[in-house]
Amino acid sequence: MKLTEQQLSELAAELDQVKANVMNQLGDKEARYIRRMLLTQRLSAISGRILMVLGFVTPWLWVFGVALLALAKILDNMEIGHNVLHGQYDWMNDPVLHSKRFEWDIACDAGSWKRTHNFEHHTYTNIIGKDRDFGYGLLRLSNDFRWRLRNLWQFVTYLLLSTLFQWGVSYHELAGERVFFGKKKADRVNSVSHSDLKKAFFGKGARQLFKDYVFFPLIAGPMWLWVLAGNVLANLIRNLWTSTVIFCGHFTADVHTFTQQQCEGESRGHWYYRQILGSSNFTGPRWFHILTGHLSCQIEHHLYPDMPALHYLTVAPQVQAIAKKYGIAYNSGSFLRQYATVVGRIIRYSFPGGKATPA
Amino acid sequence: MNETISLWGQRLYRQFSLMLANQPKLSYYLQPLLRWNNAELHPDYYSARIVDSGWETEQILSVWLEPEPSWTGFTPGQHLLVTLLHQGRYISRSFSISSSSGLFAQQKQIRISCRIQPQGQFTKALAADIAKLTHLSISAATGDFVLEPQTDGAPQQSIVMVAAGSGITPLWSMLNSLRCWTSPVVLFYCVKNAAQAAFLTELRLLAAKQPLFELQLIETASTGRLNLVQQLKENTKVSLTNALYYLCGPAAMSRQYKDDLIQQGVPSDAVHAERFGLELAATQGPVKQALLIEQGKVTTIEAAAGVPLLQAAEQQGLSPRFGCRIGVCYQCVCQKKSGQVLNLRTGQISGDGPEQIQLCISAAHSDLQIEL
Repeated sequence: MKLTEQQLSELAAELDQVKANVMNQLGDKEARYIRRMLLTQRLSAISGRILMVLGFVTPWLWVFGVALLALAKILDNMEIGHNVLHGQYDWMNDPVLHSKRFEWDIACDAGSWKRTHNFEHHTYTNIIGKDRDFGYGLLRLSNDFRWRLRNLWQFVTYLLLSTLFQWGVSYHELAGERVFFGKKKADRVNSVSHSDLKKAFFGKGARQLFKDYVFFPLIAGPMWLWVLAGNVLANLIRNLWTSTVIFCGHFTADVHTFTQQQCEGESRGHWYYRQILGSSNFTGPRWFHILTGHLSCQIEHHLYPDMPALHYLTVAPQVQAIAKKYGIAYNSGSFLRQYATVVGRIIRYSFPGGKATPA
Repeated sequence: MNETISLWGQRLYRQFSLMLANQPKLSYYLQPLLRWNNAELHPDYYSARIVDSGWETEQILSVWLEPEPSWTGFTPGQHLLVTLLHQGRYISRSFSISSSSGLFAQQKQIRISCRIQPQGQFTKALAADIAKLTHLSISAATGDFVLEPQTDGAPQQSIVMVAAGSGITPLWSMLNSLRCWTSPVVLFYCVKNAAQAAFLTELRLLAAKQPLFELQLIETASTGRLNLVQQLKENTKVSLTNALYYLCGPAAMSRQYKDDLIQQGVPSDAVHAERFGLELAATQGPVKQALLIEQGKVTTIEAAAGVPLLQAAEQQGLSPRFGCRIGVCYQCVCQKKSGQVLNLRTGQISGDGPEQIQLCISAAHSDLQIEL
């Protein structure tokens, strides 16, 4: 711990000011932007599904259709869904874009996501034992965790998780609450009953499965197999992409972890400090940032989860300057470099030991 | 039987729509496509094309609207919720329709007339944006502030109307829609001075043409407040106790006149009142704490006495869903888990248990827990 409480409170004031400058200006520009995203998403979803059926003309149409559907799902999940569910567009007072009502094209129920991601992960980011997103209870990603035999093949586990990422995300809360397996933890306060958790999990999951693997293949008639295969592929592409983006935001070589003692009764300044050190950015062209839902600016996202994401790129230089001023490491690099360190981390901690992660 | 079928149909449609589009209704999914050119329209409401607009007085702006064909029409005296996209944000306010049912029957047009309030968020935005707007979103017309149908054969009751300022709008719609005059009607129209009275020319024209109609213009700047009971006692056309009353103006005024009339022996169901605007109870007391719970995340806000919880939540950085902000549209309804709230419209204090409350017209009466 290098910063004093005084410095932390100055840090908080400076970062708050950066946020206020953006939030006071919200208006037509942001509304037009997110509506254009919605329009793009709808157009690519519908045309993608139509083109897949036209695969009998030439398979290239099918390929193009799969790509468009994958794009629609990625936009829906990342630039639209994830950000809307954070309440970034609640101020617009639009029922289609309000976090209270929004539901997305992914197996995970939006309510469950808001509890595990918005609340647990964003409040307790990288606090070992509190933030179950650090390794998802499946992977050993730092030496804070005791080594177990199953960690030996955790790179395969990681590949499987990425492939089925939407189901991992969807099951995440039920795993944490020990709904089906494991000993119930006495100290957990359930805000939602187990039966409601199961209902949301199976209800949302069944709807998504039925849509992509029964309904659309059925109405495609003789092209049913093409459509079925195309939908499997589009979901797979989305799963791999979202998983990769998220891993690059949190499990790169230089992210820090924290203990529960360090964060007990922490100040707002310390929370900001932890968010900067617990996240990592990667660079790329503008369209690339949009496809990541601006999670390429994971640091800015963790500092300001309710700021409309299109502003992350503009505040990033200011945040970086503030971090530099206080001597806080600002973890950024190219996408490939960051991803290589993620893979390195997964493999390194497959084996016992490993150096302590700084905090 | 039919109801059961339609209920099942609705459930099935909802499930189908959730499956296909992850939306409770398909129109939400299709909204960006169908209205790509009119993104300012609110998905829950009807679209209305702006035909024309103009100033009735220096402060009262009239807007003529042509609602889309599926709009369900109105009874004179009713109001509707008007929604506007201003600086990227939907804001709404309810307005009485000020045009006649005849205009709607013949030209499919309605008119709303709004007093532009310098502090008012909605009306100020409307006045500023009206030149560049092409459409507004409107709800179906609602409200029971309408003329009671006079039953055939029964003795005809005379009608007394009291309008204060822009409270003239629903009353003018009623008068202008009356086709068959059978009993005397007296209108007391209270304004600061004649220059601020909307529809004055039309009202005077009607009074000249229709012998059963009497217009009493009360210019409060020169003659002071209207003493309703006194005026009625002096009036030869109407009998005070055997008349139907229609009052439209600030809540405090309506309540005052209603109390006066009941004291004079007028049955309370003969007095109809439409309130304008939200009357803030001038309550004082210590600031309360409200815990707002959103998906397990708890935010504590300071809730001062007499301040609507919606406003308190917004001032502290939260954005709950809202609509009219005067307790009409029920979009901001939330579940209160514990604690007491004061209903700012009725002055009633709630019980302590779980119940649904409207954030825009509820103020903290004790510490609270609310599920957003």
